[in-house]
Amino acid sequence: MDQINALLKRAMPFQMVGPDVLASIAGLAKWESHAKGDVIYQIGDEADDIYLVSSGSVQHTLRGNNGAGALERPMHSGDVFGWAAVMEDQARLATTVCLERTELVRINGAALINLLKSSPTIGDVVMSRFATLITREFGVSSAVAEKVRRLPQGARSTAEFKVETKVETKVETATPTGLTLTMFRLSQWISSPKPYLMLIGFALLLGFWYFSVTVWKLPRFQDLPGLTVVVKELFSQDPVYGLSIYTPEYYQHIWVSVQRVAIAFLLATVLGVPLGLFLGWSKKFREYVFPVFELLRPIPILAWVPLAILMFRGTETPVIFLVFLASFFATALNTMLGVESIDESYSRAAYCLGANKWQVFREVITPGAMPFIFTGLQISVGVAWFSLVAGEMVSGAFGLGYVINTSYTMVRYPTIVIGMITLGVVGYTTSALVRFGGDYMMQWRVREQALGGN
Amino acid sequence: MSSVLQGSGNTRQIAKQGAIRIDDVVKIYDPDGAAVMAVDHCSLDIPAGEICMIVGPSGCGKTTLLNAIAGFHSITSGKIFLDGKLLCGPGKPQADPGSDRIVVFQNGALFPWKTNIDNVAFGPLMQGKMGKKEIYEKARSMMADAGLSGTENNYPGEVSSGLRRRVEIVRALMNDPKVLLFDEPYRALDSLTKSVMHEALLEIYYKNKVTIFFITHDLEEAIFLGHKLVIMTTRPCKPKKIIDVDIPHPRDYSVLTSPRFRQLMDETVELVHEEAKKSFASGEKEG
Repeated sequence: MDQINALLKRAMPFQMVGPDVLASIAGLAKWESHAKGDVIYQIGDEADDIYLVSSGSVQHTLRGNNGAGALERPMHSGDVFGWAAVMEDQARLATTVCLERTELVRINGAALINLLKSSPTIGDVVMSRFATLITREFGVSSAVAEKVRRLPQGARSTAEFKVETKVETKVETATPTGLTLTMFRLSQWISSPKPYLMLIGFALLLGFWYFSVTVWKLPRFQDLPGLTVVVKELFSQDPVYGLSIYTPEYYQHIWVSVQRVAIAFLLATVLGVPLGLFLGWSKKFREYVFPVFELLRPIPILAWVPLAILMFRGTETPVIFLVFLASFFATALNTMLGVESIDESYSRAAYCLGANKWQVFREVITPGAMPFIFTGLQISVGVAWFSLVAGEMVSGAFGLGYVINTSYTMVRYPTIVIGMITLGVVGYTTSALVRFGGDYMMQWRVREQALGGN
Repeated sequence: MSSVLQGSGNTRQIAKQGAIRIDDVVKIYDPDGAAVMAVDHCSLDIPAGEICMIVGPSGCGKTTLLNAIAGFHSITSGKIFLDGKLLCGPGKPQADPGSDRIVVFQNGALFPWKTNIDNVAFGPLMQGKMGKKEIYEKARSMMADAGLSGTENNYPGEVSSGLRRRVEIVRALMNDPKVLLFDEPYRALDSLTKSVMHEALLEIYYKNKVTIFFITHDLEEAIFLGHKLVIMTTRPCKPKKIIDVDIPHPRDYSVLTSPRFRQLMDETVELVHEEAKKSFASGEKEG
């Protein structure tokens, strides 16, 4: 069944269909196998079924257009023909002959239309994609293509319809690229309940904060800075404690912290990924290094603070060192696990195909570990942010960690919360950037998951 | 279709290369001091261009033998030859993996991070024997021959499992191998897809001159595809009986209903069943 699903998903008219509807369409499909020379149907036959080519090839000969010669076109795996079955006249416009041994999937046109009626939004998209397919790929005039049947206009609202057509124009270009898929997912996300659930989650958190501190003044909560106080401070042109989005210091703190995290994170990636790859790849190297690595890894970053100050001069390097350290362990460990996760048959296959050890490292180990590496980088960028506070205790006059520390000693509680919220937002953004980078570099994964839906 | 050679009622492809001789091979695993014999004084001759089906219950040690030929594992004693040249034997316990013997793996080993055509082009690219342009031209035409046009720029995860297997075989054939080693490649496929894959494999075999060493526990598959059936004993593994399948090639699915096919099934099913029972009784793991 997954085979039919995969085939449908590749076929132009069904590319936008979600997994549920796709599964029902797959339920209508029948396999058939033909020998070379078999005639599937001829011009004028009654058009009942549409066909998808699974393997092999079929010669599709369209009736000449107003005296013009017949249009011949070979159809290969993933191509769709027999679309007259979803048109109004229901008579074949072409003759199709198998060029070799060919496997086809056959779907009854009337049953398909019935099925699509039950989910009209996506149904319309499928039907209009059929029309596009007919004009664009077969060069049939749009007057003929307009005979593709319309689904009855039901309860569908016009707004809903607009969203769908917008999506359609985006993805109409031949094969979906990573970007269009990401955009498609984004539009799906917005039309799903997820973002609204997310908003409810935030509302609950803020509501709890507001009521427990400001309204009910619960025992241990009453001394905390309240939601209204913090928001007022954050958006005040003249903040009581000296820090709001209107003060230039605010951005200077963010900028200094971002710089430190960026340098530390890049260093950790540049050193951690190769170390992790070698740890996973070479058993001998691992025996030397891994025990030391595992001994150092659990030591909290705060414990490194005194040594960092002793080791490095100035104010900047100790902080960067501390942030780097935390990031580095997360990256290296996940990369190593990534290498271990690679199925042995991949490297064996590469050796069989004549690759040498370095080629296997470059072509199999590195890309194979990539999904884990990016998971590691996401963890690592998060860890970098929370070790920043420890690092910025050490030094300097700027940085979000510094803001939180000094505000504590100077009893500026609302400013502490402003610092915390800013850390959260900036941290989330960097983590999203890493994920985005991962998707960009691993299009194979984005596409696979778009199909598998996991 | 290339010409076929008549011989003892059984047709084999003309292939000058790819003869495998397994001579008295023993493989003992010794993971924690407890020696386990996986292959027991196994000898087998596979002429060039033959489809040799190795049949035995799961975990009987067939894969150990395949790994020894491919060069993934060492052998304890004995010799394995390819066209008279020693692959492994005394003084050289493990063969070097190479593109003259290519394995098609049980769960498929197409690189999911490469597109289908990049997978197919992988071998020659790594060996650096041809120009890049030439390689991709060859890859494209070989994929077209195997009915894979239109899937070149898809990733393996985007096409059906049946098509993936076919891409993997084409990836192997790109290197003009002498021997293809199949490690139960169709095990995970449903029976419908499997039957299509069998015919496709034979079609590929008729076009290419290769020796096929094919491991399976599916007797029907073995008789349908093979020139020769080697029924293995359960661990330790060695040939229990070798049967010539005298149904002439080229074959298609009508063979399955022929009386001779039924007869061969009847003759062999008892032998295989016996071993399966032994294997079950000794509690062998899958693999």
